[in-house]
Amino acid sequence: MIIGENIHKSFGDLEVLKGVDLHVKPQEVVVLVGVSGSGKSTLLRCFNFLEMINEGKITIDGHTVNPKKDNLTKIRAEVGMVFQHFNLFPHKTVLENVIEAPITVKKMKKEEAKKLGAELLKKVGLEDKANVYPSKLSGGQKQRVAIARSLAMQPKVMLFDEPTSALDPELVGEVLQVMKQLAEEGMTMVVVTHEMKFAKEVADRIIMIDEGRIIESADPKNFFENPQNERTKQFIQLVE
Amino acid sequence: MPEIFVTVYDVFMRTYPGFLEATVVTLQLTAIGVILGTVIGLVFALMKISGSKILQTIANIYITIIRGTPLIVQIMFLYFGIVEIYTMSNFWAGAIALGVHNGAYIAEIFRGSIQGIDPGQREASMSLGMDRRQTMSRIVFPQALRRSIPPLGNQFIITLKDSSLVYIIGVAEIFSLGNREAAQSYQPFESFLVVALYYLVLVMIFTFLLRLYENKLDVDRA
Repeated sequence: MIIGENIHKSFGDLEVLKGVDLHVKPQEVVVLVGVSGSGKSTLLRCFNFLEMINEGKITIDGHTVNPKKDNLTKIRAEVGMVFQHFNLFPHKTVLENVIEAPITVKKMKKEEAKKLGAELLKKVGLEDKANVYPSKLSGGQKQRVAIARSLAMQPKVMLFDEPTSALDPELVGEVLQVMKQLAEEGMTMVVVTHEMKFAKEVADRIIMIDEGRIIESADPKNFFENPQNERTKQFIQLVE
Repeated sequence: MPEIFVTVYDVFMRTYPGFLEATVVTLQLTAIGVILGTVIGLVFALMKISGSKILQTIANIYITIIRGTPLIVQIMFLYFGIVEIYTMSNFWAGAIALGVHNGAYIAEIFRGSIQGIDPGQREASMSLGMDRRQTMSRIVFPQALRRSIPPLGNQFIITLKDSSLVYIIGVAEIFSLGNREAAQSYQPFESFLVVALYYLVLVMIFTFLLRLYENKLDVDRA
């Protein structure tokens, strides 16, 4: 579904990604872990072309993207992204947040978009919040709206960039629950998270990134019980 | 009652018909200055945030010159400049000078509020497949506009008071009338006190209306 080959990304002199190869299969849930600054978030942002790679290739759903020629706007519409800080549109209600892109990008009729929006809000358990503004929501509710907003574009894959890191501990569960449900429905997902319980339960594969390289890639059982790399062992000890 | 109150009252009662007319002129100058300034400000703010080096340079030159020279000089310059090419009433010359002057400040207000929007808003919008134009018009501008209302209000009040400077080219607004009244009546203190009161009341009304509008915006969002 998403194939990254030999991805290099630098910010100025700092090389953040040093040749990453990642192949995410349809319906697969891949969790990216690593210490902060390891490059995991940058990798995610490259997959959505919020960052442009310096070297390498990205293939989405069989199409190798050429950032110079391709319409990146179109490609981004097919790749959903959920941010650490939600980034809801504060001047729009919850429902307006969800239906904004279907209406402006997909030119969906307003009535149809509203129906879709209501369905998605129901899916994330927030149908009663449709007409409130984001400032009235808790962090967990905001993030669930952000997920619904992203799903409204019917993306082929969903990227989650530390979706629960900005939340109070008691609000983490409700967001993970929605993500788990998405995974069960067969959504292809790439998730950067520190929630090891989620990784264990939901991930098909856990990938450890360290200093811009993939150093471990295994199913959850092997990842936690039989890590190959020293740094992974240290990391697991640290988080458990 | 102290003598001064009596004489101020006398001056006020004697002059208010003329001052009401002058107030209308002041308000017209202010309105044109603000509207023209907002249009110019928007254009130059867009030039400044555009990717184009040329447009940015033009905007920077304009803003530097306007902010670096006194308004009274700009009024004279524009008045005598315009009259050379095109015959125009001193009222319009003054109003345009106010607009051009305000444009530079308002451009900076707009630029600041646009660039002050969290980059995450742009990223979220782009991640949903919205292009640059849609992101700007649907996500960034509406939020920036809201954010620019308090500093714009402040700028409007400055414009109202600055409009007094066009007296120098003979426009019959509040200050100009007060100036004449002071000279004719030999009561400069009382006359300028009355002038000050007119401005003060106008600014207070303006401030009140702005506060009302800002509160309404807050209620809408909450």
